[in-house]
Amino acid sequence: MQTAAAILLVFLGGFAVMVLEIIGARFLLKDFGGAFYVWTSQIGVVLVALSLGYWFGGRWADRFQRARFLAWLLAPAGLFTLAIPDFAPRLIDALVSRHPADADIPLVWQKLDPALGSALVFLFPCFVLATLSPYMIRLLAAQLGNVGAVSGAVYAASTAGSVVGVFISGYVLLDHLSLSIIFRATGVLTLALAGLCLCLDCRLVRKT
Amino acid sequence: MNSTTKFVLLGLASLALVQPSRAQTIYQVTSAYHHIAVVDRVGYRVLSFNGSWESRVSLANPLTGHFEYCELLHVPWLWNPAMTNVLVVGLGGGSTQRLYQHYYPYVNLDTVELDPAVVSISKYYFQAQETARHKIHTMDGRVYLRRTQKKYDAILMDAYSTSRYGSFIPYHLATTEFFTLAAANLTENGVLCYNVIGNLNGFRADILGSVYKTMRGVFPQVWLFPASDTGNVVLVGTKSKEPVTLAELEKRAASLVKDKVVTLPNFDKRVRAFRAAPPANLARAKMLTDDYAPVDGLLTGSGR
Repeated sequence: MQTAAAILLVFLGGFAVMVLEIIGARFLLKDFGGAFYVWTSQIGVVLVALSLGYWFGGRWADRFQRARFLAWLLAPAGLFTLAIPDFAPRLIDALVSRHPADADIPLVWQKLDPALGSALVFLFPCFVLATLSPYMIRLLAAQLGNVGAVSGAVYAASTAGSVVGVFISGYVLLDHLSLSIIFRATGVLTLALAGLCLCLDCRLVRKT
Repeated sequence: MNSTTKFVLLGLASLALVQPSRAQTIYQVTSAYHHIAVVDRVGYRVLSFNGSWESRVSLANPLTGHFEYCELLHVPWLWNPAMTNVLVVGLGGGSTQRLYQHYYPYVNLDTVELDPAVVSISKYYFQAQETARHKIHTMDGRVYLRRTQKKYDAILMDAYSTSRYGSFIPYHLATTEFFTLAAANLTENGVLCYNVIGNLNGFRADILGSVYKTMRGVFPQVWLFPASDTGNVVLVGTKSKEPVTLAELEKRAASLVKDKVVTLPNFDKRVRAFRAAPPANLARAKMLTDDYAPVDGLLTGSGR
């Protein structure tokens, strides 16, 4: 039962990361223009977030060993995502407007600005969502003998969630919902994951 | 040797190399945005993005061979006979710029083009010329408009992205927020022309209806000028609230031609493409905003 819940947690975490990546690219496009550098930045920044999330998630799992700790990360990340439509436009605006008007923006900033913008808005929530996978591996692996199967299942579930997130975002969500609603819904989902971690907390603690 | 002569010689040289009936790719490159090819075929030079035809010019006479919509982009004169500053978003093969530079050499032109590769190709193979009166800015059209302090008498929108499945309007150049920004950069009698790939009925009619509806939310009047040679419609949004009729526009055209303000051949003919009626699908067209602009999903679905 707790295993299924943990697998659901990483699945939904993987889903949320890719919704943020795909919808985020669309969101950044209007401010940074042409899609190419925006996509490059968005993919790069999300991978940085994943890499950092895996690193710290694994270390924190060893240290705290309680699913409750993840709720303390997921709750602020959820509130942050929920508020993206409110704070991000002004933040991006400040980033774009810092270049002197009426002179062309140097090519290097045309390339790097979308990465900075993407990092300001998407690095934190994606980082938090990435901590779930190594953390869950630590909590689920009862003994060394099944670490392979546990980590495989967690990777697979998280990646499957990401796959669903990509296609749902690109094929369905963009056509039917506004960007603001999608961000807010992803924020609510992240808060729900925080709740799920609290539920998991008492169940998984005895595993260690 | 002036550039026109060079251009013609280059054209003749490349024609001599191939049998005239065959298409010859004389240059190709993959940029950050497209696979771009320059193809010479039967006396024309064509700029192709991912296999589509973006721009065409006659090798013998660079002032001919362009698509008709390039001439429809001259209608802003009907609302402002004293234009001095014009912004073109999208360079492509530079047809629009070439015509404006030739027929209105006193007009100050700014061009915004996203793809640096298109800028160099346009300069080398299509003789796009940067002069004291024509500056090319390599950046996104919306980013440019947001930052510039300049006011324009006309803004000509011709920016497209192309895939295997056809041409797409970059969504951020067709929303209420974009048109509000463009209107703020227009002079009092300013005109915005939007080249929309689509027909009034059928092919891409959803896109056309949506862009029309979105423009109507910002501009007091929007008129249509459908091209007869390709599936393009030029939407013309005016800051002037005054309604116009074809008779009135023909009268203005006649006086522009008589006073030699507009020397473009066929100008009177292009003016007659005028259509006052909105697209038939207006009622079910969607208003596009930054928050919700399904231009590459719902709106292009041919199955709908």
